[in-house]
Amino acid sequence: MTLFKQIALMLSLFLLIILTTVLVLNFQSANKGVQERLYDDAKNTATSLSLSLGSANGDISMMSTMINANFDSGNYRHIALVDIDDKIIYDRKTESDLSGVPKWFVFLTNLEAPVAHANVSAGWRQVGILNVQSDATYAYKQLYAILIDLLASFALIATAALGILHLLLHAILKPLKEVQKQAAAIIRNEFIIQDNLPYTKEFKDVVLGMNNMVSKVKAMFDKGNEELKVLKELEYIDKDTQLKNRKYLLDKLPSYLKVDSSYEGGVNMIVALSGVVEANEKIGRHRVNKLFSAIATIFTEQVKESKDAIVARLNGTEFSLLLPECSSDNAIELANHIQQACKVAIEASELDTQETFTSIGLYEYKYTNSIPELFARSDNALAQAKFNRKNIHMEKADSAVEVMGKEAWKLIINNALEKNRFHFVSWSVIDTKMKKLSHRVLSIHLDLDKNTSYSYAQFMAPAIQAGLSVSIYQKVISMLFKRSNTVLSASTYALRLPHEYLEDPKTYDELSELLRANVSTLPFKIIIELPDRLVHQDSKLIRDYIALFRKFGIDIGVFEFIGESRDYQYLQDLRPAYIKGESSYFLTQNTQSLSALRLITDTVGIAVIAVGVMEMETLEELKARDIHTVQGKVTETLEF
Amino acid sequence: MVPLKVLIFSALFFASATSSDEPYTNRELLDAIAEKHKVFAKKRFFFLQETLDGVKDKSDLEKLEAVNNFFNEVRYGSDMKVYGQKDYWATPWEFLGNDMGDCEDYVISKYFALKYLNVDYKKLFFTYVRSTQFKEPHMVLTYFETPKSEPLILDNNNRKIFPASQRTDLTPIYNFNGDILDEVGKKNEKSHKKWDELKLNMQRKKI
Repeated sequence: MTLFKQIALMLSLFLLIILTTVLVLNFQSANKGVQERLYDDAKNTATSLSLSLGSANGDISMMSTMINANFDSGNYRHIALVDIDDKIIYDRKTESDLSGVPKWFVFLTNLEAPVAHANVSAGWRQVGILNVQSDATYAYKQLYAILIDLLASFALIATAALGILHLLLHAILKPLKEVQKQAAAIIRNEFIIQDNLPYTKEFKDVVLGMNNMVSKVKAMFDKGNEELKVLKELEYIDKDTQLKNRKYLLDKLPSYLKVDSSYEGGVNMIVALSGVVEANEKIGRHRVNKLFSAIATIFTEQVKESKDAIVARLNGTEFSLLLPECSSDNAIELANHIQQACKVAIEASELDTQETFTSIGLYEYKYTNSIPELFARSDNALAQAKFNRKNIHMEKADSAVEVMGKEAWKLIINNALEKNRFHFVSWSVIDTKMKKLSHRVLSIHLDLDKNTSYSYAQFMAPAIQAGLSVSIYQKVISMLFKRSNTVLSASTYALRLPHEYLEDPKTYDELSELLRANVSTLPFKIIIELPDRLVHQDSKLIRDYIALFRKFGIDIGVFEFIGESRDYQYLQDLRPAYIKGESSYFLTQNTQSLSALRLITDTVGIAVIAVGVMEMETLEELKARDIHTVQGKVTETLEF
Repeated sequence: MVPLKVLIFSALFFASATSSDEPYTNRELLDAIAEKHKVFAKKRFFFLQETLDGVKDKSDLEKLEAVNNFFNEVRYGSDMKVYGQKDYWATPWEFLGNDMGDCEDYVISKYFALKYLNVDYKKLFFTYVRSTQFKEPHMVLTYFETPKSEPLILDNNNRKIFPASQRTDLTPIYNFNGDILDEVGKKNEKSHKKWDELKLNMQRKKI
């Protein structure tokens, strides 16, 4: 219960008790007043009537008439004249008419009209005693009316008082709300500085304390960010040409050479500049470096239309241009353009093009290639190119013996989509330090029949080629939310959403509707994993998705993280539950880069997870680098 | 036998002595009266005690006579003169302390003195009368031997006690006895305004 509610409840109770007490005391006072009035009236009547009776000189008929006259003219319950021997001379009684007064009120009030007495004499002689009792009916009615008035006033005052109390409490505790907001923001790892300091000293001290703490944490984050930016620049950028370097290419290639890569394949172009030693001698190192810069510009210009292309300097004389989804013909054409442009640049540097020239080896790769294979075949193509007349050589990947043709796959996938022949499988992500399951990562299998099913790795590539990956994800997401019982019973599951699916124009609306309708009934917690290359762009689309997931309380994870961003502020803004990167990426990072990354992630409470951990040896190396949460084959031996 | 008789006589003597030891006005009150109304006032209370002690074993008539005579020696003075009020019922201590009072004050002091002497209070009434001689309201104490008998009138104007039939100068208006009303209406805190005030002043030992 919030402090506001507690104080409001306490004060309301206090107020109600006071008002009730006042009401009861008021009513009791009125009750007493009415009873006194009843007695006083009776007493006055008894005295005046006894004086009148004295003038009757003991005549009973006269006295009876006088009593009747009095009784009939006023509100009396009983008037009796008793003689000196306690015998009743004459009396009159009436029954109370309590219509209009509830029985419960009569029962609870229980008014007893007192009997007033007066001596009656006739001349010197004593006649007896006159007893007069007023009728309480009128008193009951009067008291009941008073009670109703009091209750109405009470309700009015109580409502007004509670309203004022509510407003006052809001005003007094407003700074506390701000304090609470700031504290909640700190829990969410948001860095909010509260500029409006509360007037109340205790709140002010708390706010100052939190501001101080937030400033320090923010400073730590900023320091880590700056450090990482500098280190990444040193790590991934070639100083002379400002192109990416070999390490960048190596860290980035896994996302191109995987089954669910966006591209089935493409062309890796290696451009080597021959005669650099001679060029250095002729025009000097400085001008040669300028030539390299010019060549780098040529590369950048030539590939700027190619989506997701990577231009990297592999060493002093060789460059790699990775061109996903580029056909061999287009690549040859591009190679010719590049070669011509480089020739012009070499001539402009006053060098002999027979001596200093470019050789271009092209390798038409497939997503199934490994990184060493891609480099070996590309190098081979380059070697061929160097002895080629045109200095350009294209080498194609071996045609894999496909068990099924593209059309067969398309048929199977379409059939599976139509008949819902997908099912979820999952594997563990283990926190080896805490020795517990962090979450399970979901994947899907396609069932051909009862006995045959294809893994994600088998059917996803043909699905992408057939343009069916978005449809598969639409089906799978719908299945996840609508038929969640198909999932195992762990408490947290993570699902990767590829950027093709996220970028599809229909996805946002469909996902919104699914979340709105089903998220509250999900029997487990879900984490949506988004690709780093999409997230770090901080586009409107990604901001919309993040806002959508936050609205429904869904955590976000980042996968394929290689820290290629120019600024890591997006991690603070996004505050994912974790970032996932290849184990090879974490193992090849230098200590400073990793420390800076950990400073950033620890500051905003982001876990770092290494994926593709296959062996215990790799796990131990990761642990030595303070990365304890892992995903991959090794987890099968680590089940807790 | 002789020692037994002596024993019984002694017991009766001490019981009687104990009863007579209870004074009408206790010592503390007497000291307070002496302080307020000077030493003569205290002496008046000594004389009152002597008078009461003198008739305590006598008949009601002798008690009436003694009490009536004693208080009729007190000077008459209006409430306005003595207390600065139009109508005030003084306690016996105020009345004798001041050695002055009006008709109600005589009646009150006589009533409580007779009660002290164990005269049945049900026989005594405060009677509002009209004095035909002075043509003004007046109050006397009336004594009824039995409820139906002719009352005796204890008046401060006519100092002798006469049966009511001989007091043709008085017209009876209203009989009143606060103790009787209190007894009948035990549940009521109030019975008669002036009587209630007087009872309160008596409890407070107003002097």
